[in-house]
Amino acid sequence: MNNSLTSRAKKLFINVLMLVISCMWLIPIWMMMIYATHPDNVIFSGELVFNPGTDFLKNFAILQGKQDFSMAIFNSVIIAGVSTLLGLLVASMAGYALARFAFRGRNTLFALIIFILAVPSAAIVIPEYIIVVKHMGLSNNYAGVILPYLANAVGVFFMRQSFLNLPAETLEAAYLDGASEWKIFYSIALPIVRPALASLGIILFVAHWNDYLWPMLVMTSEQYQTAPIALGRLIGLANIEWGAMMVGASLMTVPFLLLFLILQKQIIAGITSGATK
Amino acid sequence: MANIQMQQLKKNFGDIPVIKGIDLDIKDREFICFLGPSGCGKSTLLRLMAGLEEISSGEFLIDNKRMNDVPASLRGISMVFQSYALYPHLTVRQNLAFGLKIQKLPSDEINNRIREVARTLQLSELLDRKPKILSGGQRQRVAIGRAIVRRPKVFLLDEPLSNLDATLRVSMRVELARLHEELQATIVYVTHDQVEAMTLATRVVVMKDGAIQQFASPLELLHRPANIFVAEFIGTPKINLFKVEVQECGPQSITVTHALFSNPITVSIAKEIKFAAGTKLTLGIRPHRLSTKQSLDCTISAKVTIVERLGTESLLYTDLGLETLVICSAAGTVPIIRGDQITLGFSSANCLLFDDHDQAIERCLPADVQLLIS
Amino acid sequence: MLRNRYTPYAFLSPYIIIFSVFWLVPILFSFAMSFMNTRSRTWQFDFFLNWGRLLEDELLWQALKNTFLIIALQVPAMLMLAVFAAVLLNSKDLNFKGLHRFAIFAPIVVAEAAYAVIFRLLFNDNFGFVNNMLALINIDAIAWTNSSSGATALIAIGLTWRWTGYNAIIILAGLQNIPKDLYEASELEGTSPWQQFTKITLPLLKPAILLCLVLSTFGTLQLFTEPTLLTEGGPGGSTTTVAMYMYSQGFKSFNFGYGSAIAYLIVFLGLTLSLLQFKLFGGKPDE
Ligand SMILES: Nc1ncnc2c1ncn2[C@@H]1O[C@H](COP(=O)(O)OP(=O)(O)OP(=O)(O)O)[C@@H](O)[C@H]1O
Ligand SMILES: [Mg+2]
Repeated sequence: MNNSLTSRAKKLFINVLMLVISCMWLIPIWMMMIYATHPDNVIFSGELVFNPGTDFLKNFAILQGKQDFSMAIFNSVIIAGVSTLLGLLVASMAGYALARFAFRGRNTLFALIIFILAVPSAAIVIPEYIIVVKHMGLSNNYAGVILPYLANAVGVFFMRQSFLNLPAETLEAAYLDGASEWKIFYSIALPIVRPALASLGIILFVAHWNDYLWPMLVMTSEQYQTAPIALGRLIGLANIEWGAMMVGASLMTVPFLLLFLILQKQIIAGITSGATK
Repeated sequence: MANIQMQQLKKNFGDIPVIKGIDLDIKDREFICFLGPSGCGKSTLLRLMAGLEEISSGEFLIDNKRMNDVPASLRGISMVFQSYALYPHLTVRQNLAFGLKIQKLPSDEINNRIREVARTLQLSELLDRKPKILSGGQRQRVAIGRAIVRRPKVFLLDEPLSNLDATLRVSMRVELARLHEELQATIVYVTHDQVEAMTLATRVVVMKDGAIQQFASPLELLHRPANIFVAEFIGTPKINLFKVEVQECGPQSITVTHALFSNPITVSIAKEIKFAAGTKLTLGIRPHRLSTKQSLDCTISAKVTIVERLGTESLLYTDLGLETLVICSAAGTVPIIRGDQITLGFSSANCLLFDDHDQAIERCLPADVQLLIS
Repeated sequence: MLRNRYTPYAFLSPYIIIFSVFWLVPILFSFAMSFMNTRSRTWQFDFFLNWGRLLEDELLWQALKNTFLIIALQVPAMLMLAVFAAVLLNSKDLNFKGLHRFAIFAPIVVAEAAYAVIFRLLFNDNFGFVNNMLALINIDAIAWTNSSSGATALIAIGLTWRWTGYNAIIILAGLQNIPKDLYEASELEGTSPWQQFTKITLPLLKPAILLCLVLSTFGTLQLFTEPTLLTEGGPGGSTTTVAMYMYSQGFKSFNFGYGSAIAYLIVFLGLTLSLLQFKLFGGKPDE
């Protein structure tokens, strides 16, 4: 009797506590969407609003007037999309070679990749900038942002792990069937690790979509800026248009929240296997 | 349709020799089994034939053509793996078609072949399923189908039945024998199950430590083992061995003694061979050739330590103070229990003799044994 | 398989080329630059110019202090919260798990730039949502951006919101790897839930927590976007981080050599800190 009472109290306690935390965690996202739909004078008045207003399109028009945000979103889609697809290809090819071939220099190369994992990307941004912008002349060029993204050590590490788990006999069977090395790779090995590709793909896409410093350095003109850069430039204006900025933040966030709802499993798998192996 | 030759075939992994000079001559349409303990190099030898491993030295020929450097897919072989190795993301039909498409066969030809194979192996219903939802036996049939559909000259199978349960294994064994009849192809089959080898093979290659111990028909292995290793490896329960001493060596027979034997025993031999008196030889006698009822040429008296009743036979284990227990196979209902004192009789015709280097001394086969060699 | 010797290199070539051009060369280049005077007309080797300046640069020390303050305040608090959240999310007594999981994990897909501007609005000193809520319960408005402690706290709160879920995912995976029968066995011995937590859960979670610690320290050491957009490094440089300082040296003063030396300092500090953390908290979970 006593036991069931304490266990019910414990259950209530856990649920209430978690509810409080979850609400606090959702407030920023919720308020972002609310403020995106109200005129700025509501924000300045200090009045507490919790319900959506009707000014979303007006705020969007203001946003578009200050910075070409549609173009910025477009740039972000191109950059994140292309770097993810190419990055997956490059990382899987390299991961496949490291996992399935014995060759001279394999261990050295793998050690180098592990070492690179430990070098923060912020640390090479200066020389990278000099090479890409000064020497290659790739400023305001999609390739300038995308190319450095393609040498992704985490991706190689992750794909190598997935290919290590492939049964050797399946690949040997394809070899006996007369398939070339490339054919074995793209029509047998790659399809089998599709779940891993999906996880890595999402992680890469989100990371490239969100990146701030590197695109800011390369894409200096408004025409080529990505969405995070556009938001950053709005903050720098003398007169901050809050509602418009919340529209921008919503536009670049909400699709990912929906994506997260659908692909939660893959995202979590990507984070945990990338982290625990 | 293919014969296969190996001449001094060798394989090293790094510095470690794994295949140590294999000479083998396999005739067209034979069903050959590689039999041997785990790690003796059976799979490696098969993979050398398939082209999955590089041959270190020696010659490997199929139909008298040197195959050492021919790419696997052009050797006219196909292979069935222990783990089936089906392509998990493709349907059964696509699995069967994969190799044919790479060969760029016309699509009606591909469809015809798949239909034919599906009929032979009862896969027609399964063609549009993925491997994941198939049972073990069905996967095995698909794996065999994928090998057949390429119409190879030689089939290589690496322990294809070891992942199946006992009943399925028996029925697949029968199916394999039928397929061999039907396909008229040369089959090389790796196993460590001697029942599979004895029932399926026309000839068996018994291997140990990367070398061939004996290459012969199943019955020959049983009745004329080349050495002690083969004698012990083939035949269940295991052969009983006694360290005996030569008393007298005649032109057609050798007389040996053992402290436990009631009297010296004279074994006739096929070829004359000289041993000095006192030479240590090994005498082997199979459990089925020991009798509890008759006192034949020689007897041993023994105390039963364990009785195993297997149904049609009973195995009597007796401790004679030797390295291993001496086993006698008696009738299923034999009225002997643990602790009984019994007398085991055997006749000299059923004795196998091995010289001081463990090699068999050629013997005259007993009257009731025919080797059925064609 | 009988393979062509060059096939693996063919598979590796795209990665190796990009890796060399965009990682290896920059790393070496950066190292060389850190020993050069890059502000003279032609760059010249000047061995101690930049590395020597590191020691005397008051602004750099200020930035380091700011960064370490955030690491020291925020990382332990966040990790405790992450363990707590993971344990709650793993509890069989919790209802609506999917919803809670979404709430805690969702920030991992939110861009730094996006949440920085949201927090900047919500924590505005004059009309922000947070101060308005505090007013409701009669707490005076907090100077989130106009006081150095407020600004530091604001960045710490932002980071915690963004990264708790990420760490909770790793810890949750660790929790789910702990065999259930350990708990059942200890329950039979009459262990209390708190003892179970301290004697079984925490020790077995140590590798996961250590990983989170190292990753978070590394991440915070490179902190750039949030302070840039939330507090602009202020007030009075009190939230300027090392990465921001490196950026301003590199791209505002165009002193690439000094910027590179700072970059190497960041790498060096990161490696030292993680080694230290492995030494302090590493070792076998059963020790
Ligand atoms: N790739 C390899 N590298 C090094 N050694 C190997 C390799 N493949 C096999 N070996 C070694 O070669 C020996 C023979 O192996 P093999 O797989 O041919 O044995 P097997 O007779 O098929 O055994 P089993 O019945 O267990 O399958 C073993 O000692 C094994 O460890
Ligand atoms: Mg084997």
